[in-house]
Amino acid sequence: SSQQPPPPPPLEDLFTTLNRHIQSSAFDNAVKLTDQILAIAPEDEDALRCKVVALIKNDRVEDALSAIRSSPRTLDDFHFLKAYCLYRQNKLDEALESLQRQERNDETMLLESQILYRLGKMDACLDIYQKLQKSKIDSLEINVIAAHVMGGRSSAVQGLLDSL
Amino acid sequence: FPPPFQAISRNPIVLDLAYNGIEFPSIESRMKKDRKAKGGFMSRIFG
Repeated sequence: SSQQPPPPPPLEDLFTTLNRHIQSSAFDNAVKLTDQILAIAPEDEDALRCKVVALIKNDRVEDALSAIRSSPRTLDDFHFLKAYCLYRQNKLDEALESLQRQERNDETMLLESQILYRLGKMDACLDIYQKLQKSKIDSLEINVIAAHVMGGRSSAVQGLLDSL
Repeated sequence: FPPPFQAISRNPIVLDLAYNGIEFPSIESRMKKDRKAKGGFMSRIFG
């Protein structure tokens, strides 16, 4: 037909507005903006990632999972984000499975340690904390102590506290 | 009666530190360039 629909707003305008919503933690509005961007550019990596992160930050974990599953593209860190959502839903085995498809780094190891903790696998959990020790992660000692206590190693806690 | 108080075991606190690793990508480069970036002195006045 000869009738043209009105042109969509330029992507850069939409990203500018999206950024404003992110900066002010207006995550519902941020999600709406990402939907507008994805309606124009369905495979836009930045928009896809922003959408998933905004949903997670808004505690909409189920919606974040749907967004990941229905995404036309698999982004580098989608397995990590998916694993995090599954962890929040207490689907721990699925979460570990998803995490194993992601390249290991500090973030994936932190999440893995939290999943192992919930699974009661304290030895494996403490192994990861050993590896994370040199990364100097804020407040990590709180989780390390918890894993020691739950792993029946309360006697090691005093030494740990002394070394802080 | 009443029954004596009993100590109950409490699970230690665990923080969700993985949450901090969930960050928005940098979208600065996707945004409209601001005036300062686009031109110099003149465009700041007339742009």
